[in-house]
Amino acid sequence: MKPCFLILLAFFMVCVPVFAHHGNTAYDTSKVVVLKGATVTKYVWANPHVIITFDVKDDKGNVQHWSAEAGTPQTVILAGWSKTSVAPGDVITVYIFQAKTGNPVGRLNKIVLADGTELKDSALGYRETEGEGKQ
Amino acid sequence: MPANVTRMNIALTALLAMELVASAQDKKAPTQRPQTLYQKLMAAPNTGGPAPRRDLAGSWTGPLTPMYVDKPPLTQAGEKLFKMNTPDPFSPSSNDPWGVCDPFGFPRSATTETRGISFAQMPGRTVIMTQYGRIWRTVWMDGRELPKNVGAKGGPDTTWYGYSVGHWDGDYTFVVNTTGLDDKTWIDRRGYPHSTDLRVEERYTRVDHDTLDLTLTIDDPKVYSKPFVLAKSRFKWIPSQEDEEQMCVPSEAIEYRKLIVVPADQDQAKDKK
Repeated sequence: MKPCFLILLAFFMVCVPVFAHHGNTAYDTSKVVVLKGATVTKYVWANPHVIITFDVKDDKGNVQHWSAEAGTPQTVILAGWSKTSVAPGDVITVYIFQAKTGNPVGRLNKIVLADGTELKDSALGYRETEGEGKQ
Repeated sequence: MPANVTRMNIALTALLAMELVASAQDKKAPTQRPQTLYQKLMAAPNTGGPAPRRDLAGSWTGPLTPMYVDKPPLTQAGEKLFKMNTPDPFSPSSNDPWGVCDPFGFPRSATTETRGISFAQMPGRTVIMTQYGRIWRTVWMDGRELPKNVGAKGGPDTTWYGYSVGHWDGDYTFVVNTTGLDDKTWIDRRGYPHSTDLRVEERYTRVDHDTLDLTLTIDDPKVYSKPFVLAKSRFKWIPSQEDEEQMCVPSEAIEYRKLIVVPADQDQAKDKK
């Protein structure tokens, strides 16, 4: 009984954080969309998840307004994030798994700040994804 | 001599190559997901020695979600209530009260986001504090009984966290019995319901100084055909005794829904599959 409990506990420790929050079924996690020259418009350090909104110009020069989520503050802290990591006006590169709906919204893979600092998402930033880095 | 030089060259080249690889690895961002304090403590050997007698005071860290044990044996009436609940606050169609930051209530507070829990012993009572939402529950230990007729005319009102009494079963197991719980709440994030007749038993067993095991038992004859073990969790003593602030803030939850949940529309994505 007891070893069984411990094994199950170990299973939950490893597996639960992966699907504890979002099932991420909303996002196309098969490819990372890379958005360069993204200007941050808002940085929300909050539960349930951290949010960054930003503007990016498309090929025709039209500005697109994006929203992206990362993990909860308690988990992205472990990956080096803080409440002051990003501020409106910062120009960053965004690696994102876009929503299957096609809307400009997604779950972050990672962001790269102007000084080259890389901040990975607590969940999907540590997943080896085919095509990561491709534009 | 030339052979020696060659050998030396090979050795130097190998050394250089190893150093290059090492420095490249240093510069590369870590590829392993960093562990939470809880995961680190669960993997580390215990160093605190034996459990003190009749004492849980202090701060503990736990898992995000407990280990669910028995399949909840829903009655017909319970089945009806369960069908009305759509879990997953990250989906637009969910009616999880958590999605709008309603209070968790009990026992939801012991089955959801249990990253931090603290016990404080006061005269005649123990206070159980939960990190998420800064929840405070009083467990009376002065010999009083649980109130009867809660929610009935003339009886005490039901509340989010109910009425709790506690006692020690031996020197290392603290038992808490709770009643008088408002039926607006879910018992866990899967959407299992309860009635105001719900009685919950928490058994906290201090295995050693650093380890605390919780078993949660549900008894609610209107909704479940027999008492059952809902969940078990293991908590670990936090070495620094510091906790974090974790709040569900309604305005932030509304913003999250507007900016992320609705445009991403998980339900639509599920339908497409």
